[in-house]
Amino acid sequence: MLGAVASSGFGDLEREVMAHLWDAGGPLTVRQVHEHLSGARSLAYTTVMTVLDRLAKKGVVRQERADRAYRYAPVQTREEMTAALMLDALGATPNGPARDAALVHFVGRVGPEGAAALRTALERAGSGS
Amino acid sequence: MTTLLLGGLGLALSLLVPEMLARARWTDRAPGPAVVLWQAVTLASVLSAVGVVLVAPEELVRALDTGPDVEAWVLVGALAVAGLIVTRLMWSTAGVLLRSRRRRARHADLVDLLSRAETGGLQHPGGAPLRVLDGPLPLAYCLPGRAPRVVLSGAALQALSADQVQAILAHEQAHLRARHDLVLESFTAVYQAVPRSLRSRVPLESVALLLEMVADDAARARCSPVPLASALAAMSTDGDLGAQDLGPAGRVARRQVRTPQGDRRRRVGRLQRPATAERALRAAVLGLAVAVLVLPTAFVVAPWLAQALPSLPPLPGW
Repeated sequence: MLGAVASSGFGDLEREVMAHLWDAGGPLTVRQVHEHLSGARSLAYTTVMTVLDRLAKKGVVRQERADRAYRYAPVQTREEMTAALMLDALGATPNGPARDAALVHFVGRVGPEGAAALRTALERAGSGS
Repeated sequence: MTTLLLGGLGLALSLLVPEMLARARWTDRAPGPAVVLWQAVTLASVLSAVGVVLVAPEELVRALDTGPDVEAWVLVGALAVAGLIVTRLMWSTAGVLLRSRRRRARHADLVDLLSRAETGGLQHPGGAPLRVLDGPLPLAYCLPGRAPRVVLSGAALQALSADQVQAILAHEQAHLRARHDLVLESFTAVYQAVPRSLRSRVPLESVALLLEMVADDAARARCSPVPLASALAAMSTDGDLGAQDLGPAGRVARRQVRTPQGDRRRRVGRLQRPATAERALRAAVLGLAVAVLVLPTAFVVAPWLAQALPSLPPLPGW
């Protein structure tokens, strides 16, 4: 089971788990995520655990311990993460290294008010929600 | 004498020529060869800097007539400094490559997590997977690398027709296929290796624009130029894009009388003219690039080498 998932990549599952965590509005245990996702298919508990662990390693999910069980919550809201990503794509992030890379090639660019809105979202995220 | 020649050449190649090349507009008719010319000019300027370091001390010592021993050791010292320049350049290249790969991998991870599950069947046959970010800004870009991706924002998809989206996908795939990221990274590496007071973003930004034109041409060959040109216009929400919002790059661009809008006008303008092969121009520009690299070596360095090599200290066992 785990092998089958690994060969096709964890990508889709990671996205589903993130989507569920964002929708949940509060920290969830592995069991809760597993119950939600395995409704229509057979999905191993350990697979969900692995996916949550991977997400935590990527720094997008926070692991907190409560009542002998780990709970997981997104570090940023979906909107904050999107805003941060777009700023990164624009090379407009405050930290220097972003300036050197030929990360992307644009067709469209962002106006001043758009960049300001993105930055506000980023600051909200940075101030630790 | 060689020192002055090489020094003058280096100054011309790093100050005068880039300025002229950045202002030129014939480059728009042969953007690919123009990028090669930029590479040749940059490489030649690095070579003449190394050349000056190698030649100057030796010539000075010979002029002072201090005897063969001092001459030999000065030459060794000069070699060491030249080695330092080359090492710095390689170090800078490695740093740029490493940092941008890390940053792209991270960016790709997050894009994958945030992307819409279904992209409406939009896919470029044989191309990199498409990701759609639900964001409020019209954006389209590609993430090069071993697992490349093309990213469109929801706002872009909303603003564009199916034809326009196809044209933009073709444009981004052209960037990915030709590995334009590597070209830009090489110019970034040179930029960062040059001491702060001497560096200029002009080559980097000119090449970036030329690469956009190369990708435009590739997209125009696959689709038609009309949707691409209109997509460029539709995606520009930046009526008065503040240079300050893009940091130092924007400020330099303004001083150079180059703005994102101006760049876009140049790109749209080319797309509105019929495509021409420009064989003669392309050949001429490529020939010029070869000449820029070969001629200084042939006329300046070779005679000096012939003169200087015999004065190297004999290696043990020879």
